[in-house]
Amino acid sequence: MKLSLGSLYRPSRFPLLLKSYPISRSRRSFCVSSLSSPETSLKPQIPLFLRPPIYSTTLSDLRKWHDWAESLASSVGSTFEKSDNGPDSSLLCRELKWLLEDAVEDHTLVSQMGVENDRRVRMRAHVDELYNLWKQRIQERRPFQYVVGCEHWRDLVLSVQEGVLIPRPETERIVDFVSDVVSKDQELKRGVWADLGTGSGALGIGISRILGSEGRVIATDLSRVAIAVASYNVHRYGLKDIIEIREGSWFEPLKGLEGKLAGLVSNPPYIPSKDISGLQAEVGRHEPRVALDGGVDGMDALLHLCDGAALMLKPGGFFAFETNGEQHCRALVDYMENNKSGSFCNFEIIPDFAGIERFVTGFHGKAI
Amino acid sequence: MAHQILWKSSFVVRLGRFISSSSPSFFHLPLYSLSSSSCFLKVHPIPTLSSTTTRRRNNCIWFQQQQLHDRHSFLWCSKYSTTRACVDTEIEGLGKGYLELTDEELTRQCKMDTLKSSGPGGQHRNKRESAVRLKHLPTGIIAQASEDRSQHRNRASALTRLRALIALKVRNTVDLEAYSPPQELLQILPAKSSIRGSDCGPQIGPKNPKFLLGMQALLDLIFAVEGSISEAAKFLGLTTGALSRLILSDDSLRMAVNELRASKGMKPLK
Ligand SMILES: C[S@@+](CC[C@H](N)C(=O)[O-])C[C@H]1O[C@@H](n2cnc3c(N)ncnc32)[C@H](O)[C@@H]1O
Repeated sequence: MKLSLGSLYRPSRFPLLLKSYPISRSRRSFCVSSLSSPETSLKPQIPLFLRPPIYSTTLSDLRKWHDWAESLASSVGSTFEKSDNGPDSSLLCRELKWLLEDAVEDHTLVSQMGVENDRRVRMRAHVDELYNLWKQRIQERRPFQYVVGCEHWRDLVLSVQEGVLIPRPETERIVDFVSDVVSKDQELKRGVWADLGTGSGALGIGISRILGSEGRVIATDLSRVAIAVASYNVHRYGLKDIIEIREGSWFEPLKGLEGKLAGLVSNPPYIPSKDISGLQAEVGRHEPRVALDGGVDGMDALLHLCDGAALMLKPGGFFAFETNGEQHCRALVDYMENNKSGSFCNFEIIPDFAGIERFVTGFHGKAI
Repeated sequence: MAHQILWKSSFVVRLGRFISSSSPSFFHLPLYSLSSSSCFLKVHPIPTLSSTTTRRRNNCIWFQQQQLHDRHSFLWCSKYSTTRACVDTEIEGLGKGYLELTDEELTRQCKMDTLKSSGPGGQHRNKRESAVRLKHLPTGIIAQASEDRSQHRNRASALTRLRALIALKVRNTVDLEAYSPPQELLQILPAKSSIRGSDCGPQIGPKNPKFLLGMQALLDLIFAVEGSISEAAKFLGLTTGALSRLILSDDSLRMAVNELRASKGMKPLK
């Protein structure tokens, strides 16, 4: 299955996409109930924008909902922002617009909401459901991406749900690093890559699309929800032949590949345990702790990954890790230089777009 | 909306609907005076805003900012290379050269930022701040995009806008004595042009990304003849009417030409 981006954005083509994914007959009832329940589930949920438009409502009822939702968003003002650096009302209003985009089949009609109008529009969720969803967004601080079941990341639209980390824009850069590296070295392009702690599959999928049909990616995670969601996303982008999803802790699912990996990328949990309680509510209350908590200083997983990289990468192999910031980046490079001396070379510390030193990259030293 | 509030920059060129924009700030481009250290290409000191004289520094490219109108400004980019040392930068430094760069090369000349971040970012944060601002360091031109939900797509749109702005704003000097239209300009001319050979292929229209290069060269010529469409038409082997129609076929081109004409006290093309 080849997906063009265009088709991902064109609602009329969605049913086509759905067909190619095996969905149980009970999907409809499953979706509707699961949409409102922030419980984690092993079954991948269909993002709102991919659901069939089987509901309908009048433009004036839709408008009523929208006005209510907007005033709820406005009432937030900057209170979330002040308490935990959460979203302010203007951001929430932007999300409201996106929610409408995902929920209404033909959003050119949305502009006509202003007029008193009995015209019916087809919807992917019942209006009552929209009331619930928006309440969850504001009152429970449920992340917008869980509300709509997807996140736009690079040129992808990835399904996400409770139990899986929502991929961050910062992480998009890692795919650029890989793209740079393989454009200079065809051999790396044809090799086996690993994305450890793949979550929604974001990095693995991003990288597979760079490698193309010659490449191979193994994406692993400890979390079963992550495995289910990543598999769904891989399937939806037609990359089954390139990426393999494996369950297990870090390098354990890679047995037998010692010294064979062309590349290794990871965005492992890196937040120091003591900082977890102070996180923005959307993150701290709703995203899985196993995806965030990096131990006392946040480096548990990162150090483990460095150790493993020395074993698993082939000579000339590339690695890229995301970290908590400057301190982590420096500590990692120190660790690799001192404790793994000679194993790695050409370290780089690269800032994210906000200017925070975020990534460490480098190569496995050539064998002597 | 949030980005406007947060950035509070009056300089940012917002081109949400670039082609049909008629906002008064549309042509108000900043000319940043860049310190040479913040500048990707070492060769681009930009004179202060009020300067209308051309100054030559120890490099081969200079910019002259012409205050054509209170709020209108263009950036001149000309090349007088004499020294060998300039060769590398020349290729990239030419106004037209910018447009010939690949996306990656052009991006490398830019500073990209997202919204000012407060706090540690990364896994700590869920704010969907996907707006992107690209500042092209050699020219100071800024393009931004925020309408999409992914940063990656916003970056791509910002880059497309940057290319259009470069074509519109960066002028190359033209030697009218020895003028012969460059290939990329010939390609956007209608087939009836008497100087357009059949080897130019079919006419390239405004929707084609290659149109920008031709548009830039056309604007260079029109600036050289100080806005006279009939003069420019002669150089292109076209009737005045045919050239007017070409200019009117693209909104941003039309606006740039009319702005120049207005500054010279000429009537706008309609
Ligand atoms: C910060 S998230 C990153 C997810 C994804 N790569 C991304 O960038 O969006 C960290 C991921 O590591 C996974 N993880 C945590 N401990 C793990 C372990 N011991 N082995 C494998 N994966 C683990 C979590 O389940 C989570 O999906």
